Amino acid sequence: MEQKRIYLDNCVTTKPDPQIFEVMKEYWENEYWFPATFFTAGEEINSKLDNFKATLGKTINAKPDEIHFTRGGTSANNIAIKGILMANSQKGTHIICSVVDYPDILTNYAFFEKSGFTVTYLQPDEDGVVSAQKLKDAIRPDTILFSTTWVNHVVGTIQPVDEYAKVLQEADHRVFLHVDAGQAYGKFPMDMNHTGIDTMSVSAHKIHGPQGVGFLYKRTKTPLAQVVHGVNRVDNLETGGMNIGSLAGFAKAAELTFADLAATTKKLRDSSNYLLERIMNEIPDVELNGAAGEGRACHNINVSIDYIEGEAMGMMLDLNGVTAATGSACASQGLKPSYVLMAMGRNHMQSHGSMKFTVSKFTTKEELDFTVDKLKEIVIELRRRSPLYQEKKDK
Amino acid sequence: MQYSQKVLDHFMKPHNVGEIKDADAVATEGSPACGDQVTVYLKINKDTKIIEDIKFKSYGCASNIATGSMITDMAMGKSIDEALKITWRDAMEELDGLPPTKAHCSVLAADTLHEAIKNYQIEHGIREVADFSKETIVAELKHIIYPQVGEDIVTLKMVKYVGFNAGVAIIDIEIPSFDKYRDNVAEEIREHLAKYSQITDLQINM
Repeated sequence: MEQKRIYLDNCVTTKPDPQIFEVMKEYWENEYWFPATFFTAGEEINSKLDNFKATLGKTINAKPDEIHFTRGGTSANNIAIKGILMANSQKGTHIICSVVDYPDILTNYAFFEKSGFTVTYLQPDEDGVVSAQKLKDAIRPDTILFSTTWVNHVVGTIQPVDEYAKVLQEADHRVFLHVDAGQAYGKFPMDMNHTGIDTMSVSAHKIHGPQGVGFLYKRTKTPLAQVVHGVNRVDNLETGGMNIGSLAGFAKAAELTFADLAATTKKLRDSSNYLLERIMNEIPDVELNGAAGEGRACHNINVSIDYIEGEAMGMMLDLNGVTAATGSACASQGLKPSYVLMAMGRNHMQSHGSMKFTVSKFTTKEELDFTVDKLKEIVIELRRRSPLYQEKKDK
Repeated sequence: MQYSQKVLDHFMKPHNVGEIKDADAVATEGSPACGDQVTVYLKINKDTKIIEDIKFKSYGCASNIATGSMITDMAMGKSIDEALKITWRDAMEELDGLPPTKAHCSVLAADTLHEAIKNYQIEHGIREVADFSKETIVAELKHIIYPQVGEDIVTLKMVKYVGFNAGVAIIDIEIPSFDKYRDNVAEEIREHLAKYSQITDLQINM
């Protein structure tokens, strides 16, 4: 029998929880209507959508009307960043983020930079943490927005969002705070009542929900210009039709994740710790990338395996039925090493030789054991072929 | 899977991996900064000039290892003159092709083989050290692949001007500002020309 694929790239997407399908099916087979306020069919959907919003809002202690459905995390990031900047550009055109942010933020910022905005890109420390002090030092009278990636998508480092909020609240003028929570949602508790977050993007498929939907949290009093125009079917910010069945699946996935968040995250933490421990104990010349312990998200392990290259490691794992990620240039779109690792001060070899393993609630100990056993063999074999390892031995 | 079965076979079970302790010629090309480095070792019969043994080591991706394996297979048993005629395109064809972004791996493998042979020829008085000129730079640029299409930048007519005077090399490349391989191409040019001490100032205009 063919071996089942071991999927350890859960920061990209996760396996849908089987329990969401029943819920979603109903909307595709029977209740396939869009919401409306006059006819019965539409009204029913309206009230269902309100329920989903209430369910999702509860997971972050936000009001239902602060939840705006979107076509995924990237859409939410676009609506928030563009919306804030277009609504506030008369107050200033200076914006801040960091060089290690998620591409959604960086590409949006690059777009505005070309359109005349000035951007300050903050630098991280060697763990990937961007300090609140750096944010404080970067604020200018014309600063209007700071955006951050709560959990770094490459190394899993958790950014000090509460400290950022405090800095922004203490500033002498209004600076908005946008957070990409793609990797953070469902990984630790969040309370929108006690943060200064203005807008936050969340994606359903990172928490075992369906692909293609997400939400934007928007604080009630935070003004956003509308950037997606068209008919208002489901949401006034993400106009047009939307996949209602997937929104139902999203709400269900959130319900499952947050029913016992402590237990969910403990399982992820135990899995990733076990994987890290075995790798560090059993493979020589390996370094952890990103913050250690509680400073990193519970599902992410990123290591640099010296003297060998990540695409080759990833390919060998792949041919052995294991899916993982690498920061190697050879596996990237623009043939560049991971910009996050390079910004953290890792050298080329460490960036090219980085491997990222992200676990989910479905990951088993047997899968992790198989992965490490294979990885050990792969590292020995690739080092046998490596001139860099030869040089090290000759020294 | 973007790789051919042949690439995967040579990657998983490469031929000729290792080193030759008393090699007659050795060459190393690439660097960890580029993400790939290859060393080729040759044992050459001093009378017949036949390559009697060849080994390689590779720090690089799957296609890098596969092209190292293939090119050493192709050179084994050939005379050094014949081996010099093996091009990166030959190696790539033998592997049933490579994705365009990986064509540079084939170039690196072929370059390393050729460099090892040239080192041998220079050491044995068969070849003279070439004078450095503008043509040397152009020849190097022919080894730089534009990853979008897997073809070199000279053939693609992306090189608009090459000048060399008193240590200053000026290269004009036509590549759009939004091209995702822009930095990669510039980096490759710097990497390829780094070995020429004659260049004291390299200016790449894009």
